[in-house]
Amino acid sequence: MVMRVVFVVVSLFTLVMAFMVVSHPTLFSSALYLVATFLGVAGLYVLLEADFLAVVQVMIYVGAVSILIIFAIMLSRGMMGKRTSSHNRQAKWVALASLLLAILLLYFITVLMRWPAVQAGPVPAGAIQMLGQDLVGRYVVPFEVASVLLLVALVGAIVLAREREI
Amino acid sequence: MTITMPSVSLMPYLPEIILLVTALLVLLVDTVWGDKRWLVWLAFLGTLVSGVAVWWLAQGPTLQLQDMLTADAYALFIDMVVLIVAAISLLLAYDWLIEHNEQQGEYVALLLFATVGMMTMGAAINVVTIFVALEILSLSLYILTGFARERLTSGEAALKYFLLGAFASAFFLYGAALLYGSSGHLDLIGIGQNLGTGGLMAGAGVALLLVGFSFKVALAPFHMWTPDVYQGAPTSVSAFMSVGAKAAGFAAFLRFFQVALAGSYAQWGPALAALAVLTMTWGNLAALRQESLKRLLAYSSIAHAGYALVGLAAGNSLGSSGLLFYLLAYAFMNLGAFGVAIMLEKPGSGDVMMSSLRGTSRQHPLLAATMAVFMFSLAGVPPLAGFFGKLYVFGAAVEANMAWLAIVGVINSALSAYYYLRVTVLMYMRDEEAGEEEVAVSKPPVLVFALVVALFFVVIVGLWPSVWMQMAQQAALIFG
Repeated sequence: MVMRVVFVVVSLFTLVMAFMVVSHPTLFSSALYLVATFLGVAGLYVLLEADFLAVVQVMIYVGAVSILIIFAIMLSRGMMGKRTSSHNRQAKWVALASLLLAILLLYFITVLMRWPAVQAGPVPAGAIQMLGQDLVGRYVVPFEVASVLLLVALVGAIVLAREREI
Repeated sequence: MTITMPSVSLMPYLPEIILLVTALLVLLVDTVWGDKRWLVWLAFLGTLVSGVAVWWLAQGPTLQLQDMLTADAYALFIDMVVLIVAAISLLLAYDWLIEHNEQQGEYVALLLFATVGMMTMGAAINVVTIFVALEILSLSLYILTGFARERLTSGEAALKYFLLGAFASAFFLYGAALLYGSSGHLDLIGIGQNLGTGGLMAGAGVALLLVGFSFKVALAPFHMWTPDVYQGAPTSVSAFMSVGAKAAGFAAFLRFFQVALAGSYAQWGPALAALAVLTMTWGNLAALRQESLKRLLAYSSIAHAGYALVGLAAGNSLGSSGLLFYLLAYAFMNLGAFGVAIMLEKPGSGDVMMSSLRGTSRQHPLLAATMAVFMFSLAGVPPLAGFFGKLYVFGAAVEANMAWLAIVGVINSALSAYYYLRVTVLMYMRDEEAGEEEVAVSKPPVLVFALVVALFFVVIVGLWPSVWMQMAQQAALIFG
């Protein structure tokens, strides 16, 4: 019962923060709300007894990714403190469509779909080691190829951000 | 505890690694070398060496990298197509890059990265690998699309492509997660063995994956981005992605349906056939009334994705090998058509209007004749490459008892002949109107060379289709 209340509180917190991210008029505040959203997700991981994922979530998403986003905003000219509307004329219809879709999906996922239920067991000891070994064992190919993806993103960011020389 | 490093032989990934190293070299040389022209040639050399590696792998036994990648005949065939596309695209871009004189290194490197992504897609036998490869390919293309920075349309196209593409990737990922949930496997063979009849969850997964693939190869109704992106992007990039991304997307598409979903053809066959009909009809109808040559080619590429999908929908071995042949034939003719567009486009405008084609044949008879050959091939006039591509995929549909699909395809081809011929007619038969300015055309030697290569192969593939078809059949044998 206590866990359920905690779960509802954490989920609500995450959802509200996520909504603020997309609706707040200043980009900088949105980024700060994003930090809070990531923290909420970390809380959900804790509730799922995935401690390692929770720590990684805090370190990578709260620590690195958010800081990077905030740096990018601060370094872009004229982005700090600029108020922009985050929706246009179609906002109402989009909201309506999204709501309908959400209800449909919820119905589909929770009622129609017969999820194969698996009995929750204790987390096996050494789960983190298994995760690490799988990353350099079974999944070494996508793991390594993903670094190419990061390199592409790096080169692309430079191309887009560089001032014209002529 | 001891960590045992897995013994991994990277041999099956050799062609991709060669290209990767070349791309890194290009980035490195770019910073120290003054003369940027050599970067393109360095990359060109890389594609040739990689091609040799592909040929070498084809001689030996089939190699495989865990349950992630394979270097079977199918993967090597796709490698060949994609490498040809990359090599010709580099040549097409050469003069545009020199004129532009900025960021050639990044352009060439990104093009090579995209090629690596395409080749990996052809070789991937695991949904995770397919996804990572798809992202490498897409990310590179988003950036390449926005390379013509002096034009606003280029940036707009890049943003549009990026937003919609990210959306499509999310669909793909969700589909993969659902498939994993219902089969417990991520490798295609494992999915195929454990999916069984599937049920609702597997069905939803397959449908979402289908949306992801459809977006990447521009099938209607997920094609909305195509005309804007092809028109806005630098023409050499449009040429590259119209054929390269299509070949890679269809490669993974075909392997996925033939390996992971081989047991449930009865369910997805009709759906794909319906998608093929919708795609070719929509593409052709929209192409009829285009006034920009690049938009026309974009809609024509949508229609061609529909023809190619007929081979997939047929679901038999002739369909698979026909689709592979189609990808090869389409690569040459579309690269050629875009190459001519590069020559005709006015500096700075980045596009060719149909009206400015008038009277091209008077001033540039050879260029007009070349374009006519590409147009005839795209329309499917025998004995050019495009005709045999259509012959094989429509033949496969008849063989699979879907004669109606072949008939729809033929009607569509007839429809498409209208706008392909319109291009030719405008170049040949209309007299220049009084006061019309001369069609300014620059004919740099590298671009001419690339066009000659494309022209050569359109004719050769058309005259001796059996040689190429045999390779495609060899590649399709893996589906048993």
